[in-house]
Amino acid sequence: MLYVVLFFLMFSLYLYVVLGGADYGAGIVELFSSKENQKITKKTIYRVMGPVWEANHIWIIILIVILWIAFPVYYNIMVVNLHIPLTIVLLGVTLRGVAFVFRHYDAVIDNSQKLYDSLFMISSLITPIFLGMVFGALISGKIEVVEDVTALTFYEAFVQPWCNVFSILVGLFFAALCAFLSSILLIGESDEKNENIYIRKSAIATIVVFTIGLLTFGYGYSNGNVFILDFLKSPFAIVAVIFSAMLLIPLWRTIKKGNKIWSRFFAGLQVFLILLAALISHFPDILITKTGSISLIEDIAPDSVIKVLGISLIIGGTVILPGLFHLLKSFKMIKILERDNNPLI
Amino acid sequence: MENLDAARLQMAFTLIFHIVFACIGMVMPFFMVVSHYKWLKTRDQIYLTLTKSWQKGVAIFFVTGAVSGTALSFELGLLWPEFMKHAGPIIGMPFSLEGAAFFVEAIALGFYLYGWNKLPEKFHWVTGIIIGLSGVASGILVVAANGWMNSPSGFDYIDGQFLNIDPIQAMLNPAWFTQALHMTLAAFTATGFAVAGIHAYQIYKNRKVALHKKAFKIAITFGAIAAILQPISGDISAKDIAERQPVKLAAMEAHYTTEKNVPLYIGGIVNAEKQEVNYKIELPGMLSFLAFSDFNAEVKGLNDFPEDERPNVAMVHYAFQIMVGIGTLLLFAGILYFVSLKKKHWFNNNKYWLLFIVLAPMGFLALEAGWIVTEVGRQPWIIHKVMRTKDAVTPMPGIVFSFYMYIVVYLALSVAVTWLMLRQIRVLNNSN
Repeated sequence: MLYVVLFFLMFSLYLYVVLGGADYGAGIVELFSSKENQKITKKTIYRVMGPVWEANHIWIIILIVILWIAFPVYYNIMVVNLHIPLTIVLLGVTLRGVAFVFRHYDAVIDNSQKLYDSLFMISSLITPIFLGMVFGALISGKIEVVEDVTALTFYEAFVQPWCNVFSILVGLFFAALCAFLSSILLIGESDEKNENIYIRKSAIATIVVFTIGLLTFGYGYSNGNVFILDFLKSPFAIVAVIFSAMLLIPLWRTIKKGNKIWSRFFAGLQVFLILLAALISHFPDILITKTGSISLIEDIAPDSVIKVLGISLIIGGTVILPGLFHLLKSFKMIKILERDNNPLI
Repeated sequence: MENLDAARLQMAFTLIFHIVFACIGMVMPFFMVVSHYKWLKTRDQIYLTLTKSWQKGVAIFFVTGAVSGTALSFELGLLWPEFMKHAGPIIGMPFSLEGAAFFVEAIALGFYLYGWNKLPEKFHWVTGIIIGLSGVASGILVVAANGWMNSPSGFDYIDGQFLNIDPIQAMLNPAWFTQALHMTLAAFTATGFAVAGIHAYQIYKNRKVALHKKAFKIAITFGAIAAILQPISGDISAKDIAERQPVKLAAMEAHYTTEKNVPLYIGGIVNAEKQEVNYKIELPGMLSFLAFSDFNAEVKGLNDFPEDERPNVAMVHYAFQIMVGIGTLLLFAGILYFVSLKKKHWFNNNKYWLLFIVLAPMGFLALEAGWIVTEVGRQPWIIHKVMRTKDAVTPMPGIVFSFYMYIVVYLALSVAVTWLMLRQIRVLNNSN
């Protein structure tokens, strides 16, 4: 059953990165657009994300709940040492969700839209950066796990783990990845004359992802970051990253051909490979501390808990996944129908 | 401010908000589907307008409820890491099921909001029902987790270790049913009266009376039925607490000395030093009767419990008085509504609508007061008789700053949501 739980943990992590990531990315793309393009993007985002965005963000709740039920010790270290960035993430999630609803459901359209828009865009950028920083902190080797946290200074215990160059680079990397995912998604959703906007955006995002990725590796390598050093030694991780980079070729081909299903598939697969590479080189020791590493699966909840959790995840999964799939499919079909019937779209 | 106090205040503050959003998000879908049903049956355009207006309310409250709920799911760990480290695996079951129910709700909401004129009519309506049912299921599951804190079960506590964990028994703890029943009825009462009050105000102001009367009737029917049923559930809860958490019951009634044939105090000012209640109304033998169905039963007083195991008596007592007082008031208001159905001329009297305007916030006041009774009444324990709240709090200093931040954000949020709702109503009134 532990493997079922681990599967769902990784599955929700992946879905959150892809779906939630594309969702955050939409705001980032909008932020880095000209005024005119912002309007187009805003409309497209509403059409694409409107029906599904709440569902996209529930994956993080599932993720957190699985962590606290099955891996309480691991979760404990996260919530104690990374209290500050997690609080900022929460603030971002809250403001972003509220801004999204306000800008699309406010009965009156007036100047307050400007406020909603900037709130939406800025929190769309800040939140994934801090989420990435949390992950970066876990592998930064800066967390000190001690019996009594009060023995450390405030800076050592609660700031240094996440507020360091490496974690910030990982944060920026994740935000760039979100922008990349979103621009690929938006290509297929905009009308033909606007497609080039997002093709250009995805090209820029690819370059940014690549640059920050290299910087992260370079910085980690030169500073002796255990995670990066082990990553570079792991043949699986290297193969996964190279494969992910190579997928850019079919990705560009499918974009040029206008085959949005395949372009999304390739982009999703790329992210999957990046995530796989990041996790595989050090699994299950996903927490790297100052003095060593902590295994995710070592100090877990008792068997009875894992068993019940596994069963409820299987049941929950069989209810939710078809529903979600159906939701996505239905609205895809509706959109295609609208497109056929409406010459303007 | 001490870290523990700041953490408790932050938790209380965010919960107070979340409960309002969550209740409205949980109950309003029912109003919406009733109106939707009437539209399908009668094809009266007014019902369609009303349904679409309520669905916006549902969407706004769903999202605010969802984001404040996400915040809470993090806060549990951020503020109470020691609690979650041990309790997380034990009460994870209702939380994981709640996640699933919530997911179903989000999916159904996606179908409902975007499904107008696109999905088959009946299927579209059913997705509305699913929103409501999964919302209620979420609420019940979360309350079950809270029930566990009041009546911990499903594990053996040996030498500070939580052993032999049985998550299902923990979820189905002795308090889950009474608490869930009480809370579900409270949610329907509070939301019913609040929504009805808002529409009563519009009728009072003579705006779109036909529409607002229909809206009022739907909302108040739910609220009134729930308010009339609530005392039964309250009675079950009282008997349950008398048995499992006698110190909480004693605090609710500011009852200090163990006695037989104990009177019920209504109102009164608690003097904690002298251990007495001044200016109260006494109903002889009633507390014994309400707690144990026997006028001569012995009820344990606060003095029977060690001083460091008692909650803040005054706060629990006042909160309990407010809850019961308002509950009784709403019970009569509910009966009054059903009487008014026979006496139609009351509808032409503006005082009738004024009454329901005044009652609009009352249900929520009672509901919050009820949560203060159950939460403050459980102190100093976070897990009743197992773990103290002070041992669960985060070691990170400076929680007070995060508390201030939450105050600013949540107050801004509630101002914004209120403003948005006002605009919604204004547009509704100006529509044709």
